[in-house]
Amino acid sequence: MHQSSSKPESRLAAITFFAKTHPGDVCGSNGLPLTPNSIAILGRAQRLKDLKHPHLCQYLDFVRGKHERTIVVSEYFGTTLLDKSRVALLDSLIARIFYQIVCALKELAEQNLVVHNLEPKHILLDDCNNVKIFNYGLYHMTKCGDYVPFPIGNVRYMPPERFLGAKNNIKSDIWSLGMIVAELLLQTTIWSGMKISNITRKILSFLQVGNVFEKIAREHNCLERYAQINGELRALVETCLNVAPSKRPLPTELLSHPYFSKDVTTYAYTEPPKSNVLLLRCPLEQIYYWWQLAGGDVQSELKKEGLIRSEAPILAIPQIVCLNGAIVGPKRSQSYLMDDRVVPLKLNNLFEKLCNLPAMAYFPLIHSPKFPHNFGASMAQLPLVIREKDIEYQFYRVRLFSRLLKGYPYTSDMIRKEAAKDIPPYLRGPIWACLLDVIPIGSYEKIDKFTPTSTDRQIEVDIPRCHQYDELLSSPVGHCKLKRLLKAWVTAHPQYVYWQGLDSLTAPFLYLNFNNEELAFLSLYKFIPKYLQWFFLRDNSAIIKEYLCKFSQLTAFHEPILAKHLSSINFIPELFAIPWFLTMFSHVFPLHKIMHLWDKLMLGDSSYPLFIGISILKQLKSTLLSSGFNECILLFSDLPDIVMENCVLESQKMYECTPKSVSHRLHVLREEPLTEFDITTDVTLAHLQAEMCPRISAKDFTNLLHHAPNDMCALDLRSAVEYSHVHVPHSLNVPFVAAQLSEPRLDALGVPQLEELMHGRIVICISNTHEHAVQFSKFLVECGVLRVCILHKGFNILHTIEPNILISN
Amino acid sequence: MATTARSGGNASGSTAQRPNGTQQNKNCQFKLVLLGESAVGKSSLVLRFVKGQFHEYQESTIGAAFLTQTICIEDTVVKFEIWDTAGQERYHSLAPMYYRGAQAAIVVYDIQNQDSFQRAKTWVKELHKQASPNIVIALAGNKADLSNIRVVEYEEAKQYAEENGLLFMETSAKTGMNVNDIFLAIAKKLPKNDGAHNQGAPAGRRLNDNENNRQTNNCCK
Ligand SMILES: Nc1nc2c(ncn2[C@@H]2O[C@H](COP(=O)(O)OP(=O)(O)O)[C@@H](O)[C@H]2O)c(=O)[nH]1
Ligand SMILES: [Mg+2]
Repeated sequence: MHQSSSKPESRLAAITFFAKTHPGDVCGSNGLPLTPNSIAILGRAQRLKDLKHPHLCQYLDFVRGKHERTIVVSEYFGTTLLDKSRVALLDSLIARIFYQIVCALKELAEQNLVVHNLEPKHILLDDCNNVKIFNYGLYHMTKCGDYVPFPIGNVRYMPPERFLGAKNNIKSDIWSLGMIVAELLLQTTIWSGMKISNITRKILSFLQVGNVFEKIAREHNCLERYAQINGELRALVETCLNVAPSKRPLPTELLSHPYFSKDVTTYAYTEPPKSNVLLLRCPLEQIYYWWQLAGGDVQSELKKEGLIRSEAPILAIPQIVCLNGAIVGPKRSQSYLMDDRVVPLKLNNLFEKLCNLPAMAYFPLIHSPKFPHNFGASMAQLPLVIREKDIEYQFYRVRLFSRLLKGYPYTSDMIRKEAAKDIPPYLRGPIWACLLDVIPIGSYEKIDKFTPTSTDRQIEVDIPRCHQYDELLSSPVGHCKLKRLLKAWVTAHPQYVYWQGLDSLTAPFLYLNFNNEELAFLSLYKFIPKYLQWFFLRDNSAIIKEYLCKFSQLTAFHEPILAKHLSSINFIPELFAIPWFLTMFSHVFPLHKIMHLWDKLMLGDSSYPLFIGISILKQLKSTLLSSGFNECILLFSDLPDIVMENCVLESQKMYECTPKSVSHRLHVLREEPLTEFDITTDVTLAHLQAEMCPRISAKDFTNLLHHAPNDMCALDLRSAVEYSHVHVPHSLNVPFVAAQLSEPRLDALGVPQLEELMHGRIVICISNTHEHAVQFSKFLVECGVLRVCILHKGFNILHTIEPNILISN
Repeated sequence: MATTARSGGNASGSTAQRPNGTQQNKNCQFKLVLLGESAVGKSSLVLRFVKGQFHEYQESTIGAAFLTQTICIEDTVVKFEIWDTAGQERYHSLAPMYYRGAQAAIVVYDIQNQDSFQRAKTWVKELHKQASPNIVIALAGNKADLSNIRVVEYEEAKQYAEENGLLFMETSAKTGMNVNDIFLAIAKKLPKNDGAHNQGAPAGRRLNDNENNRQTNNCCK
């Protein structure tokens, strides 16, 4: 493959192959269909993306196509060794190539990976003659080739033991390396034009041979050349071609060999000059991400090259099917056969889209107030879905957040501030971790995830039911990872137990951090106390009851008419909202919806989810209002399509306009102790259950009075006499004893313009007889009044506030 | 990704007579609860009964899910209000909320899992003690499509069911085997005379007498 010399050069390429299909209707032992091999490949391949090494081409993406097709996107550049060696290479260059391949093998061996398809066309050289190997992950991702219908590796470079069934030995790769180097040194193509069966026979015949290198030289009439090779180098090649794998050297042994170590600088990696194209200085995975946003699509690139051909299915229908199953018809389509061509992905489009961006946008300065980094600010008002697909906007966001993440935890505040605008999907996993104050310290590794426990069965039956429409989560590797995460969480929390639903809760973190289990784990670890404190206690009923009660109260606060209706048909949250809150909606929405929901959730406190719940009710309001119990509950058993963007906006609005104490719950992780001016701990579940409206604390009340008196309307329910003695400024006196509450009609109260006075404000019922406030607030809700609450501890608490806020006569 | 599916067509407000319906059609509705160990196939049974579908990757049930389905036996239209519960032992404390006032229960186990059969027996005991005394209980040995790797013998379960006065069938939500039949058998056993409109818990529910979906037709034999 020759690199076109015109700029911009391509740095990415795709290859494709088919996974083995499971025959017809074969089921697993559980009676359910087997996982498609292409999904299993996808799961196994993910970890390859993490390999970043100067001598390994970086893996970027794995895509499933139709009919078990797998597409692999990876770094690709320069010239293959196959092309390069069409002319004889200097021995010093051969030694350099030798050395650098060993470097790559050493890295792979450390990762417990083997190549098993090492051959000249998978070895790439750049302009500085640096080597990178390509396609080295095929054997791993296909589970030693089990998942594909073709053999892996070029026979010519295979060691004898592979024909005898040996696998997963890095020493086999050392043999292949030996063959490659031998071929280069002898300046010939070994066994050119020979049939596979004969090559196999040749290789197996080596089992009888002492010096394979010499034998090859003799067979190819290159003994003269063989004799010219530097003795040390030749000996090295000979050890690599030792018939017994155990006698071949390990990569580390080769690297420390004096032949290399005495002159290591000639062999070692040379840093290539920095590209003057700024884009090419960005990480390759980001370039690929933007390439996609710029309209790049691997499948269509492969189609253009004829690697994916669509054929009308009708052409494949057999003409005759015999009773014995034999088929007469068109020949098997060639388009399902292995085609190992490499298709470069052109970056032109991307360059064009980004050519006008200022250089500053590539490397935003985040600490210099002189250089504001608010690129893309003009787009901030566009709908989220548009921003997420906009190449230019995502370019700014990804660059900015990459910078900010590097500075974490020192940049926490800036990350929070930027995340409030939006979170670029590409970096969502690490950004969430920052918002949750995660700091990885290697603790995950130390947690026992393997000892069997009594929860194992439950975890095992839940995992295959958890977000299985997602390719990664349904892959065997995904299952293993989820299991490890769940077991680790249970082990790390002796005070808690596994409740069904914890699986769904973990799924988004695994999905986002598939290659970083520790980050997934720590995110979950921090997420639960923040939003679900004590939900996973063995007996969590008090916590859940309080939560659902608060949910009802807040529904009455923001949606009085709906609350009244739901309560009249006995439609209690216990019947539908447990999975909502226990899993923070991760059990009721598909992953892509959870992403946007949690983007906002992460920025809010433990009360935020309650508002999400209300916004869902709100979206279904008209249906709910016109429905009875059965219809309502049916609606929630199969939640209709909720528009997430509205849901997020609504919940945000409600969250912001609700005083903190109104959503107060006892069972939360508290950073500061409660004072007498907060909602105090003597408010029990029984109180909550008896009160339709939430309470507001004296602290919040005073705050409103001082800072936003126009946002509140205080209704003083005490008698006119008491009121005339002392009262809150701007408050209205509506003596409870005189109030007509039998029918839900505001005008029955006889307070002129009451409705207008309460409109758009937080309505606070104040009394010294708590029961009065409870009844009166319920009456207001039934009249449809918005944002009604009760002053906790009644009027008397206001006497103790300093400085004094009361007006007395 | 809701926990379960809803029954088709029951929200219609029309009160037209069923085309083939006789004039003296009686309408009954019954509250039915599904109980049993996790992953034995409770939700799958309901989905098969209500929608005629089977999902290999049926999501687990948290809390409970509610569905309805109407069938018709002889001259009676029977509407089932089905509560499908969470199987995990920890959710046990919620169960009474669902079986309280239920006229029928299906206790499900998995024929390839002995523990689930033991668990089913415990549920039966609990129902006998705590549920309404007239409750009709059916025992369902699910995943009958896997009978080649069964561990709970048919005879053993059958005998247990007889001793405890339970209806019994082996079912398969996957193939549909005996799924309609078990609901039908329950419907037959339930009293349908005493004005049994038996509004269980919540008041003010509307009766629908116009269900004429696929299931209904199938059952009207
Ligand atoms: N082979 C087979 N699998 C079933 C059958 N019923 C359910 N399953 C599978 O068993 C698993 C658990 O089913 P589910 O309905 O969620 O069980 P639940 O927890 O009792 O509600 C799912 O993967 C189902 O696909 C059946 O009749 N045969
Ligand atoms: Mg279920």
